[in-house]
Amino acid sequence: MIRIIYKEWLKIRWFLIGFTALGILSIGYIFLKVQHDFTFYEGKNYWYSILFQGYQYFSYVKFLPLAGAIAIGIAQYFPETINKRIKLTFHLPVKENKVLLMMHAFGTASILAAYVLIFIVFFGFSKVFFAAEMVNDAVITVFPWFLAGLTAYFMIALIVLEPIWKYRAFYFVTGAFFITIYLKSAVTAGYAPVNLTLFVLTAALSIALIFSAYRFRKGEM
Amino acid sequence: MLVTIITCTIILPSVYWMAFDKPINVPFVMYSCTDDDFMITQSVDGEVERTDTRGNKYTREEYEQKLPLLYTRQLLISETMPDTIKGVAMDMHELSKAKSSFRYKPDEKNAPQPKLYPLFESESGRANLEMPDDYFRIIWRMEFIHAGTNKIDEQKSQRFSAALFKKGFVFPAKSISGLPTTRKSCDEGYFIVDSSEQLFHLKMIQGAPYVFKVDLHEDFKIQYISCVDNKDKKFYAYLFGSDNGIYILTQDEYELIKLPVDGFDPDNCDLRIFGDLFHYDVAIQGEDRLQVDVLNYADYTKVDTYKKSWLKRSDGPTGKIAAAIFPVQLTLSQKNSSYNNFYFVFSSGFWWLVVNLVFAGIYFFILARRRDGISKHIFDLAIIGLTGIFGFIAVNFFQNKFFK
Repeated sequence: MIRIIYKEWLKIRWFLIGFTALGILSIGYIFLKVQHDFTFYEGKNYWYSILFQGYQYFSYVKFLPLAGAIAIGIAQYFPETINKRIKLTFHLPVKENKVLLMMHAFGTASILAAYVLIFIVFFGFSKVFFAAEMVNDAVITVFPWFLAGLTAYFMIALIVLEPIWKYRAFYFVTGAFFITIYLKSAVTAGYAPVNLTLFVLTAALSIALIFSAYRFRKGEM
Repeated sequence: MLVTIITCTIILPSVYWMAFDKPINVPFVMYSCTDDDFMITQSVDGEVERTDTRGNKYTREEYEQKLPLLYTRQLLISETMPDTIKGVAMDMHELSKAKSSFRYKPDEKNAPQPKLYPLFESESGRANLEMPDDYFRIIWRMEFIHAGTNKIDEQKSQRFSAALFKKGFVFPAKSISGLPTTRKSCDEGYFIVDSSEQLFHLKMIQGAPYVFKVDLHEDFKIQYISCVDNKDKKFYAYLFGSDNGIYILTQDEYELIKLPVDGFDPDNCDLRIFGDLFHYDVAIQGEDRLQVDVLNYADYTKVDTYKKSWLKRSDGPTGKIAAAIFPVQLTLSQKNSSYNNFYFVFSSGFWWLVVNLVFAGIYFFILARRRDGISKHIFDLAIIGLTGIFGFIAVNFFQNKFFK
C-alpha cells in the first residue's frame, strides 16, 4: 500500500508542489494589491466598493483551483493509460478496486491539502484587512470554485481511464458543461443556498472513476 | 449518469429557449392628468403605437402633450407646456419637488444583503455628505469597525448600543435599510428591524445617536424596506408588509399608510412608482400581467386602475412544446432572485410522459437490435421513463454494457 502511494507521489509531486506554490503566490499578489489599494484609495472606499458595488478582490483565484486539479489529475492518470499501464497495477496482489481507490484517495487528499493550505493563507490575510462578515461572504463565494477543482479531478480520472475514445469525448463534453455549474458569475455570497448541494454532488462524483475502471477491467477495446 | 442528467436538464432547455424564446411586449402605461385617462405606449409589429384606453391613436408630439408632467422639458423646448393644469399653476420648482421615481425588482429583496453599513453624520453643517471612516453592524450589540484598521471603536459602539437598548431594541438586527451613499440630498439614517419585528429609526446627529421606535400594529410584519430620497420629503421609505401590501412611512410623524393597491407580490412582481404634482402611478408587473393604479398625490386615494394580461411564456406554443419535451427544466439563476440555486420548473400536463415513453421505446428497440438482455437494462429504461430525453442521453453516454 505504501509503495502504491509512493508511486502516485512520484507522479504528481512536482505538479502538486508547483500548484501549491503558485496558489500561495497568487494569494500573496492579491493582498499586495489590496494593501496598495488601501493606501491609495483609503480603506473606507475600498470596503464600500466591496459591500455596495459588488467588487470581488479575490476574483483572480476563480480558475486557480480548477487549473491545479486538472494538472494533477492528468499527471496522475495519464501515465496509466500509456500502453495501458494500469493493467500492471491491476496485476498486483491487491484487489483492483482497492488499488484504484487508494490512487484516487491519494490524489484527492493531495489536492485537498493544497487547497486547504491556499485557503488558510487567503482566509488569514482576509481577516487582517476585512470584517468577519466580508470574509464570510468571500468564503461562500470561493467555495464552489474549489469544488469545481475537485469535480474536475474526479472527471479527469473518469475520462482518462475510459478506454474507448467515443465515450471519452462524451464524458469530456458532459464534464466540461457540468463544471460550469460551479463557476457561473454570481454576486458575492450568491452561491449560499446551493453550496451544500454542490458539496454533496461533488462527494458523490468522487467514486465516478470506478465506472471506467470497471469497464476497463472487463477487457474492452 | 447523474452528472449527465443534471447537465442535460440545464443545457438542453437553455439551448431551446435561446433558439425559440420571444420577448413579451409589455406596454408602458402612464396616467394623463390633462385627459384623466391612461396613455399606453406599445410596440405593435415593430412600430411604436401610442393610444389611450378608448383606442385613440396619437403622434409622438400629441402623446407628450398628454403627459406634460413626464415630458416637461420637451414641452418647454417645444413651447407647448401649459401654464396651468386643473387650475394649478405650473411652477417649475413645485413640479420638480413633486416628481419622484421608484423602481423595485424582486432580485433586490432575494439577494445577499450587506451586513455592514456606513452611518453618515446627518447634521455636519457641510454642504455635502462625507463617507465616514467606519462601518457598523448590529449583532449582539451595535459595533463600529474602522475600515482602515479593521478595529472596533469601543466607545462609539457602546454609546450607540446603549441608545438602542434603552429604546427596547432586541439584538441582533433582522434587517437594516437605508441609502448608503453620499449621493443624496441629506442623510436620514437607517430603518432597522430587530429580532422582535420592531422597527427603529437610527441616525447620527452631531456624533450622538438618535433612535426612534416606530409604532407598528401588533401583527404587522415587514418583509422589505426600500428607503427613498424624494425632494418633497413626504415619506422616508416604501415598506412591503407580510400581507404583500405597499406602505409608506411618513416623514417626521412616522405614520404607516397603506397604499390602496392589491395584487403585489414582492417575490414575483416588479414595481414602478412615478409621482408628480397630481398623482402617483403605481405599476405592478408580474409574469403575465400589468396593473397600473393611480393614486391621488395628496391623500393617496385611488383614482383609476388599468389592467392588462397576456399568456405566460409557459402557456404559449413554445412553452407547451418545451413542457412536452422536457419533464423538468433546471436553471441556476432566476429572474426574481440574485441567488444561484437549483431552480426546478416541473412541466405541467402529461405530454412529457408520452414523450418519455417514446424515448423508452426507442431505447428498447436499440437493445433488441443489439440482442442485449432487456432484464439487465430495466434500471436504464426506468430512468428514461422518468427523465425522458435527459435519461436517454445519459444511458447512451454511460453505457451499462460489456463488450464481449
